[in-house]
Amino acid sequence: MENILHLWENTGLYQMQPGQGIMIAIGMLLLYLAINKNFEPLLLVPIGFGGVLANIPGAGLAEHGGILHIFYSVGIESGAFPLIIFMGVGAMTDFGPLLANPRTLFLGAAAQFGIFATLMGAVALSTLGIFDFSLADAAAIGIIGGADGPTSIYVASKLAPDLLGAIAVASYSYMALVPLIQPPIMRLLTTEAERKIKMVQQRHVSQREKIIFPLLLLLLVAFLLPDAAPLLGMFCFGNLMKECAVVDRLSNTTQNSLINTVTIFLGLAVGSKLSADKFLDLTTLGILLLGMIAFGIGTASGVLMAKIMNKISTAPINPLIGSAGVSAVPMAARVSNKLGLESDPHNFLLMHAMGPNVAGVIGSAVAAGIMINYVTGG
Amino acid sequence: MDTSNLLNDGFTLMLFGMGFVFIFLTMLVIATTIMSTLITRYERNVGILPEEGVPSPTAVIPHHEHPHSTSESPADDTTVISVISAAVNKFRSRHK
Repeated sequence: MENILHLWENTGLYQMQPGQGIMIAIGMLLLYLAINKNFEPLLLVPIGFGGVLANIPGAGLAEHGGILHIFYSVGIESGAFPLIIFMGVGAMTDFGPLLANPRTLFLGAAAQFGIFATLMGAVALSTLGIFDFSLADAAAIGIIGGADGPTSIYVASKLAPDLLGAIAVASYSYMALVPLIQPPIMRLLTTEAERKIKMVQQRHVSQREKIIFPLLLLLLVAFLLPDAAPLLGMFCFGNLMKECAVVDRLSNTTQNSLINTVTIFLGLAVGSKLSADKFLDLTTLGILLLGMIAFGIGTASGVLMAKIMNKISTAPINPLIGSAGVSAVPMAARVSNKLGLESDPHNFLLMHAMGPNVAGVIGSAVAAGIMINYVTGG
Repeated sequence: MDTSNLLNDGFTLMLFGMGFVFIFLTMLVIATTIMSTLITRYERNVGILPEEGVPSPTAVIPHHEHPHSTSESPADDTTVISVISAAVNKFRSRHK
């Protein structure tokens, strides 16, 4: 009898706390969204499953010594996984459209306003006493507006490890929601005539330019903002491997097997942060809300910047490509293209929107570097 | 931390951050434009690199993928393609 009682006390049912039950349900919901609705499945499947694993009562997978905790401390606490992913993203990025029209970098800069406006919002909310965010927390929340998963995780792991689960889930879910969040804002801020603007055909970008660009970017980072060097350094390295075309084997590994391997462990490790005591909190709700605002403001400021540039410059710029300045490669560029086609079925904006899109990746990495520099140094 | 202090810090970080992002990307625009101009001028004299890269020295015996191809080398093809596309571009920009 005593043995049976002992066995019963060791079952999940006996040890289950309500919070854990809810978190397992949330993990299942993420899996449902990924599998059935196709929302960023490459990330939400590992994250959702990691979330379920982390909340199995009594198993302690996410506690000290558990396998998910080991993944977390090896890959995320050290900052390694987001950086390796960034290298893979670099190896998949084509800077051609950006080099053909370097002015689109300004769109990528403008869209970063969402990051800083949200930081202000988070700080204001804690001043009002609604939430209790420190400056570091606010910076990590703001970076969700950069719409760049690895950057968000990198910044959160450096500045606000406690909020990492919520921040990662928010930034990846909003990336999946780009086609829903952005179009209403873009329609609101542009007129039909502006959406019909045709852009000049892009010039051909030579291979030499593509090889030199990552080196140029790296030197600029090295001179001006060493705090962004881990992110942009890996990014440039990946891109150089792709463009120089003499190390195709390395470049192929980086953009396929390596990034896939790391994504699995990154997802599981992020999932381990979805434990009930950390996630089921009003703060999480605040983060989700602020992240959404960050995204909206970023989109809006990108579009507005494009409108200003269109007024100033001689070559026409369709304001729709401004929204692609919030990274989220290549989803945001596709949204720009889609809205352009709705207004004029012969106006293909995809390649034009890729410029601000990759500029957004650089912009949010720079913003991340500044935040880390300011918060940890200041 | 004092609350008004926090608000101040946030505001400073916002100005500082946004300013720096713009300065950084402006410098990148300038550097990129200069780089592109220089390379375009340089390539006018020496020709462009083949898109698929310079063939690497290797111990493996080179395997010709297109034995019946009419052109002499893939590098020639890409040069021809880029010359044609440049001409098309010029034509389009003149006849709008």
